[in-house]
Amino acid sequence: MASRKLSSFWLLMGLIGIAGLIPAVVSAQTPPVEQGGGSFRVQCPTATIRHPGSTATGGTGTVVTPSPDTAEANYTGPQVRTATKSPDGHTFPSLTFTDNGGAIKCQEISGGDGMMTEADGNQTYMFSFGPLSGLGAIQNGQPGTTFPNVFNSPYTAGDSLGNYQNGQPNPLFNGTSATDPNAVGANSAISDPAGIMNTGVLNGNIPAPLIAFDEDDEFFLTLSNVGMIMRPDLFEQHTVPFHGYPNASSFYDGVPDATWAINIGGSVTYYYLAPDAGTYFWHCHVTPPEHIQMGMVGQLYVRPRHMQIHGFDPNFHFVGMTFNPEGFADMKDKYFLLNGRSYPDTVGVVAGTTVDGNTLPASWTGGVSGATNPNPSTNAISTTDTDSINRPSQPMPTLIVLNSHGGPNATGQRAALRIDDLDVTEYQTLSSVGIPMLMVGFNAKLLRDEAGNNLYIKTNSITLGGGESMDVILDSTGIAPGTYFLYTPQLDHLSNDAENFGGLMTEVVIY
Amino acid sequence: MNHLYSRNWWAVSRFLSVVVAAIALLFATSARAAAPGITVAAGGTFNLNAGAGYSSQPDGVAIYSWGYGCVSDSATYLPADFQGIGHCPTMQLPGPTLIVHEGTSFTVSLTNSLPTPAGNTSILFPGLTVTATSCGATPNGLLTCEAAPGATVTYTVSAPVGTAGTHAYYSGTQQDLQIEMGLFGAVIVLPSATPGNCTSSATVAAHRVDYRLAPAAYNHALTCYDREYLTQWSEIDSRIHAQAESQLKLIASCPTITAVQFSCPTKLNVVTEPYRANYFLINGRSMPDNMDANFAPNYPNQPYNANPHMHPGELVLLRVVGQGHLQHPFHEHGNHVRILARDGNLLLAQANNPTGSTLLAGRMEFNTDTTPGQAFDGIFLWSGKGLGWDIFGHTPGNAGNPICSSDANGYFTTASGASIPTYNSAGTMISGSSNYYEWCADHNVPLEANPIGSVGAGGPITLPDPLIIADGLWFNGTPYLGPDATLRSSGPTPMAPGKATQNPTPESGIAFMWHSHNEREITTNDVFPGGMLQMMLVDPYVWNIDETL
Repeated sequence: MASRKLSSFWLLMGLIGIAGLIPAVVSAQTPPVEQGGGSFRVQCPTATIRHPGSTATGGTGTVVTPSPDTAEANYTGPQVRTATKSPDGHTFPSLTFTDNGGAIKCQEISGGDGMMTEADGNQTYMFSFGPLSGLGAIQNGQPGTTFPNVFNSPYTAGDSLGNYQNGQPNPLFNGTSATDPNAVGANSAISDPAGIMNTGVLNGNIPAPLIAFDEDDEFFLTLSNVGMIMRPDLFEQHTVPFHGYPNASSFYDGVPDATWAINIGGSVTYYYLAPDAGTYFWHCHVTPPEHIQMGMVGQLYVRPRHMQIHGFDPNFHFVGMTFNPEGFADMKDKYFLLNGRSYPDTVGVVAGTTVDGNTLPASWTGGVSGATNPNPSTNAISTTDTDSINRPSQPMPTLIVLNSHGGPNATGQRAALRIDDLDVTEYQTLSSVGIPMLMVGFNAKLLRDEAGNNLYIKTNSITLGGGESMDVILDSTGIAPGTYFLYTPQLDHLSNDAENFGGLMTEVVIY
Repeated sequence: MNHLYSRNWWAVSRFLSVVVAAIALLFATSARAAAPGITVAAGGTFNLNAGAGYSSQPDGVAIYSWGYGCVSDSATYLPADFQGIGHCPTMQLPGPTLIVHEGTSFTVSLTNSLPTPAGNTSILFPGLTVTATSCGATPNGLLTCEAAPGATVTYTVSAPVGTAGTHAYYSGTQQDLQIEMGLFGAVIVLPSATPGNCTSSATVAAHRVDYRLAPAAYNHALTCYDREYLTQWSEIDSRIHAQAESQLKLIASCPTITAVQFSCPTKLNVVTEPYRANYFLINGRSMPDNMDANFAPNYPNQPYNANPHMHPGELVLLRVVGQGHLQHPFHEHGNHVRILARDGNLLLAQANNPTGSTLLAGRMEFNTDTTPGQAFDGIFLWSGKGLGWDIFGHTPGNAGNPICSSDANGYFTTASGASIPTYNSAGTMISGSSNYYEWCADHNVPLEANPIGSVGAGGPITLPDPLIIADGLWFNGTPYLGPDATLRSSGPTPMAPGKATQNPTPESGIAFMWHSHNEREITTNDVFPGGMLQMMLVDPYVWNIDETL
């Protein structure tokens, strides 16, 4: 906003702030919850009034989930329960809850910048979010959301030398591989300021880290603003709006005009009680035409597969890396992205990999062999940043593999596509050739009328505007084995800038 | 080359316009909206004029435009509270909102006062029926009866039963130019009968001013509402407007140039493609101008604002019309919108439901697309249900902590002992429950683990350190709704709670952005913020919402 015009004043403060932080990081990481050391801090309680686990909270009734910090409990119906004390010991008159179970989930992300690789090989500068927890899972295309016991454990992973992404040593390194999707030490939150800066700077992902939790969970999302090292003239705050949250509070809605935004060098934690299940998404709401175009877009589902449509205008991104005023009226996307990748990178997986539990059939001759990028163990595409260090930037291919007899009673497997669109300039259409689409949800709501009649739509194409989400089922029953395409019939969007063939397209392999 | 495309000029204008936008924000007052318009008795005549003028944009630019207006500045305004406030200039953007009743007819007399080189003009009323025109059986235009420069035509329009709702009207002549120049508006058709379950005007009036045009949008029990806002979404490609203006000047001056070597042009020949919108308007204004009052004197040709306010639990009717060239994904922060109808056609469920009553079939959407020439009605409601913490910051032991007992739906309403908030003529709340329509399951549930001020402890989270966050213009300084909680939970923040320019302490509402999610459209000629952006405030019941301010 207008604050940029005050940059000379703020910049001075910013430099002091960051200079103060970096020397303060010598101490070893002190897990969990809160510690000193600048303004970076994470929050992930192991018990709350709603999810006290085995902590005594007085009152009456049964707690549905006995260990909300480590596991889910099977849903057995609601329990009415009262509490007279919070887990941290504050007493109050009896509060009555309908306990539906659920657990506590936490995640940490960075707000900053980074580079990504377009399908024509061009490297594009982004304002972006990156993972600061669940790093191992995210590199493998999975959500980075964890239980508190994982989140609050020390981050003990590193590369083969025990270093953070930027080459600085992780003093807690104990041999854990940074790309391990399951190891606790590779998926815990990085909560000390040194680790946050050593990991968060330039680690932007497109799309931003995937978030997933279940209805009735309590979700704690910490955003640490690591600054944009390529744009030291900007002193940009960042926010996370939970796009579409029903009956939202303004406070955690992330619109900087309506509430607050986090400055560089600090962390804030957003709190959400999981709303109705559905496909939502998130993005930065600070100067949205700039920050969203520049890549601050993520996906979020309140429990299958998620696909995000986006577009990049390379001219805008080039201007965004420089120090010139940006034009909005002339913004025109030239790259069209599904999960941050254009065709053929959308199907850029290493040959022979397993996709969603299905082994790629030998008849599918796509993919890359002998590759180092995408990473042969995770399928994540990495980009060499301006500090010559390679960081994972686009962890999520959109190749879909379905067994046409692999479902219940030998029916075909079905894929649920959770599709959202955060293009800031145009409407986008995605069409399916050969496999019909069944649109079952729109904007995180099942398509039903008030009388309970289905309003599902059987179609071969869907159109979304920026800020919309849709749930679509692809059913492989009766579909002949082969390779099918999801692509945009907006034919000028089937391009990667000057390359005539590419863009908004991916493949569905049926075997 | 046009001076608009000089790079230096552009850079300077961008800087200046940021300053202008910032200053405008500082001085804007907390204004409200409603859906004001003009009306006539059944069978009466709207005397409209098509004329030229300028629209004011927040970057300081006055853009040459055409619009519908009134032949003389006298009309009957609705809601009735706007009678002493409203005015109707000879051209306005958008045109006057015409409010009529289902089952009646009305006449529109249109005088063409556009510059002569602009040629004929006309009006189309899609969704309504034009039963007669002054052209007789053979219209002189391709689509309808057209008024030649300086001439007047009439349209007799029927709004039969079944046409209630929101409709667009716009020019039927050379539309690529005339609609772009601003010749569009809206017709609101009020239902012929009101369902018995809706809150009557008399009941509302016993507690507060009723700003509704009717108790229901349709003659259907599920379309009652408490408050309503009309928004019309359009764009401007300023190059087209500049071309029209400069050609008109050339045409006017051409015969006076001596030794003319060529024949003077007499008609406009404006190139309208390729289309490149650079201004994005809601109700003819760009943000932040749309936050000033309806009929604010600084926008003589743009009388309508877009500044929705509501109380928790109120059913808010959104009347939305797509005008102009482009679709816009209108994103409502705060909650989903229940779509009621498209172009005045109520969307009803198939009848195979257990009660046999007709239920609604419109989708619940958090993004409601606006499409040129199309209108939709939707109902929005915000209650804070399911947040998991008390939005009012209620804390047992604090003086005045109210009760909350659940009605059948879980809310605190008259069915469970609440009394309806009532305001005196000065707008002060004199009786009623300040936590009317609270979601009782979250009553007294704390948010903060380490609270600031006098609100409950033991909650799940510690709020952000106020020293490391940047506060927004609409931020009341706390997570809570209402001055009571805001004052109780005040801490040493950089901006004292309640100092928000747009949301002062006595109001202490919570704000939600309602905007185009094609985010490049929330700019004004390349400057952010601007364009298609409204701020909706949920206000506490202690704050009276005066839609005329």
